[in-house]
Amino acid sequence: MTPDDFDKLQTLMASRAGYRLTRDRMQLAEHRLGPVARREGYANVEALLANLWTQPVASLGWAVIEALLNPETWFRRDRTPFRVFEKELLPALASARPEGRVRVWSAGCSTGQEAWSIAMAGLGVGARIEVSATDLSQRAIEKARGGLYTGFEIQRGLDARTMLRWFEPVEEQWRPRPELAQVVQFTRGNLLDEPADDGRFDVIFCRNVLRDMDPSRRTRLLDGLEQRLVDDGCLFLGADETLEGETVAFRPVSGRRGLYVKAPSSLRRAA
Amino acid sequence: MPLTTCLIVDDSRIIRKVARRIVEAMGYEVDEAADGAEALTYCTGAMPDVLLIDWNMPVMDGLSFLRRLRALPDGRRPKVLFCTIETHPDRIAEALAAGADDYVMKPFDGEILQSKLEEVGAIAA
Repeated sequence: MTPDDFDKLQTLMASRAGYRLTRDRMQLAEHRLGPVARREGYANVEALLANLWTQPVASLGWAVIEALLNPETWFRRDRTPFRVFEKELLPALASARPEGRVRVWSAGCSTGQEAWSIAMAGLGVGARIEVSATDLSQRAIEKARGGLYTGFEIQRGLDARTMLRWFEPVEEQWRPRPELAQVVQFTRGNLLDEPADDGRFDVIFCRNVLRDMDPSRRTRLLDGLEQRLVDDGCLFLGADETLEGETVAFRPVSGRRGLYVKAPSSLRRAA
Repeated sequence: MPLTTCLIVDDSRIIRKVARRIVEAMGYEVDEAADGAEALTYCTGAMPDVLLIDWNMPVMDGLSFLRRLRALPDGRRPKVLFCTIETHPDRIAEALAAGADDYVMKPFDGEILQSKLEEVGAIAA
């Protein structure tokens, strides 16, 4: 891949996905695009990209974008936010909401482990939990919907008792049991798009998305999250993500790292 | 952090070597036993803080050893991860019922072992 190719990839990723493809990821990009080139019938990555630059962004462009996103995820990643969600937020929400119905959005869900972790917590405390999970990557969403996880994937972050309670083996893999599967809905979605409906959520998990976001797109993303969150809702960001001075929509909850609530100034809709 | 001890009980020298490398990197002082009987002798002498136990081994298998271990004075204290190729839910449940704190399906890697040890509270998360 030429430096010019990489520049164009950076622009593509920033404009379509809001993703900041840093220069140190050039080799990674080359490596990730190899399989895409083979799958799409190109001799190599250069040939794939040469063709890509001559046409409008369509399925090939999105296949390239998807391959360059960061798909890494695991069950109950960083543990603490899931503990706070389960022990502190869920009991309060389930008793405050009609019929204990709690709506959660896993925004940037990748292959689904976060969404299942949220759903397990909700069902575990007897809440009527509904999890909506979205990701930009069609392939990630398809894997999440298929719900099949390898032994490595299922064990990463999940203890055996929890695994046995909520998952069942299918040949060499594991999939969610029906009672878990039925409370999670996976949809492909771009966090930069305007919301397609007026659905709102009690809790939003948008973890490890912002840190890869192009600075110029972060505000748009945060505005979208703010619109979709109920006024007394909560937002979880990743462990090393903070909002400092870039939005007036959210304020951090002290003593709960990564947890945000709406700032008073963004409660105007309630008035 | 004070050094904690881990006993790896597996009849495969290769598995012991792989597991040793992983838990040593986490700061454990590691010893090895090739079957349950050897491990039981070890534990009556000095109780480790953590044990990784394979299921199928000659002389005394992992499940028999685990039950005997839990019956020893101080035998409930160590954290036990059962690490085997058995993936049937009934077998996993059996090992947990016999006193394993968690269960690791082989093959595993460092990330899985680390996350399981954190989960059972053997190392700080």
